[in-house]
Amino acid sequence: MNTCYIPENLTEALEIRRKTHALPLAGGTDLMVQAKQGIGINPVFKSPIMIITGLDELKGIRVEDDGTLVIGALTTSAEIAADERVFYHIRTAASQMGAISLRNTATIGGNIANASPKGDLPQPLILLDATLTLASLDGEREMKVDDFITGAKKTALNDDEIIKEIRVKPVEANYLFYHKIGTRKANAISKLSLSAMANVKDGLILDFRASSGAAGDKVKRKREVEEMLIGKAVSDIPSLKDGFLTAWNGILSPHAMPTYRRESTKRMLSYFLDKISEGAELGIIS
Amino acid sequence: MLDKKITFTLNGKKVEFIGDPLRRLIDTLREDFGLTGVKEGCGEGECGACSVIKDGKLVTSCIIPMGAVYGADIWTIEGIRDTELGSTIVEAFADGGAVQCGFCIPGMVLASYVLLKEKSDPSEEEIRQAISGNICRCTGYDLIVKSIRLADERRRGV
Ligand SMILES: Cc1cc2nc3c(=O)[nH]c(=O)nc-3n(C[C@H](O)[C@H](O)[C@H](O)COP(=O)(O)OP(=O)(O)OC[C@H]3O[C@@H](n4cnc5c(N)ncnc54)[C@H](O)[C@@H]3O)c2cc1C
Ligand code: FES
Ligand code: FES
Repeated sequence: MNTCYIPENLTEALEIRRKTHALPLAGGTDLMVQAKQGIGINPVFKSPIMIITGLDELKGIRVEDDGTLVIGALTTSAEIAADERVFYHIRTAASQMGAISLRNTATIGGNIANASPKGDLPQPLILLDATLTLASLDGEREMKVDDFITGAKKTALNDDEIIKEIRVKPVEANYLFYHKIGTRKANAISKLSLSAMANVKDGLILDFRASSGAAGDKVKRKREVEEMLIGKAVSDIPSLKDGFLTAWNGILSPHAMPTYRRESTKRMLSYFLDKISEGAELGIIS
Repeated sequence: MLDKKITFTLNGKKVEFIGDPLRRLIDTLREDFGLTGVKEGCGEGECGACSVIKDGKLVTSCIIPMGAVYGADIWTIEGIRDTELGSTIVEAFADGGAVQCGFCIPGMVLASYVLLKEKSDPSEEEIRQAISGNICRCTGYDLIVKSIRLADERRRGV
């Protein structure tokens, strides 16, 4: 028999979490599938569950005075995809998750806490150096999404904590790229995804970032490799490209279909860099 | 653990459920409320056969626990087909030859309903997007897409 709590507010949820370590169930799109038994049989959970779907304190999107975007942990992919204030990479990734019904149910907090290497939202969040606010009865702590996800299905979440919200500061960029290669059109979890962005001014690359999803045990991003391009002239891209692509390939560690994933990543990054180097119109590179 | 009492609205009527809050919404609808228009295909959120409308949005009832339905407004095909738009869609599906074995159809009608509720004169791409989570093993989708267009034209009176 399952043990299940339905807290009515965040404080009650945190008390239950501290006392019982019950696992939060947000949208349930990962948990319910894992616990599935069959037609007419209630799912079976190994640990106590706490259904947090109804907690309003964890819902919604807001923008703070300094431009920081704050997304409540229970915000669904559909809500993120529909909100024009959400930064391009996050919004696009959310809009391409699963089919409509999945996007109406799946939450951003669940996607992060699930820490699947194939999860779609950590990739753009890590690109933008997003942080999490983790709440417990002792208060709140702030942590980078990149530090929170420690490996495949592994996170730094304490057993008395709940993800409260996701915080993203705006990052200046004028070339944006997102591409996901899925298995089929709807309900496709990433086989591979890539985000990239560049801020180019007066022929100089002021910032360059990229992040690769589903190409290792967690999202792959490395500032040292990005720095190979930062501060360089756009006109130097052709001579820097091969070295950069080789270095980027070095940080990937795909388990399945490694050649395919490495080659596809290389092709996408190469395409993005060629566009910048050709002086493509500023904006989204598609 | 004591069973929880969960009240919600089902096809416009206030109802209550008492039991394991982790029971799947699909099982409650089919077994406790006899709403067998909700079909179980994959049981994993992939096929859309179990689609229902929750608070105005299309969801798959096989992966939603009763505890998440607390206070929600749920509509199934049994309620939607009696609405004006719902019956227009059901008739258009029949007239447009969209139905073969019929297994996917309740879910398809609900997906179409949500689309047409939000959008007038949707493009073919928007129609295909709207039903992209609903798998049909029989029709190859073209007649379904045509029937949704037909439903839209009829309700707009064109
Ligand atoms: C048909 C189908 C298609 C899918 N397609 C995609 C896809 O395209 N891309 C993709 O990335 N994923 C996909 N998924 C996986 C899943 O939908 C996502 O990972 C989703 O974002 C999980 O969110 P949830 O709220 O449903 O999580 P839940 O199942 O509720 O929870 C998942 C995990 O997160 C924990 N958790 C949830 N909320 C919190 C919180 N606030 N604080 C702490 N821990 C928390 C839970 O305890 C659990 O361990 C798909 C799943 C299905 C069934
Ligand atoms: S039975 Fe629910 S989506 Fe297939
Ligand atoms: S009509 Fe048979 S599955 Fe669609």
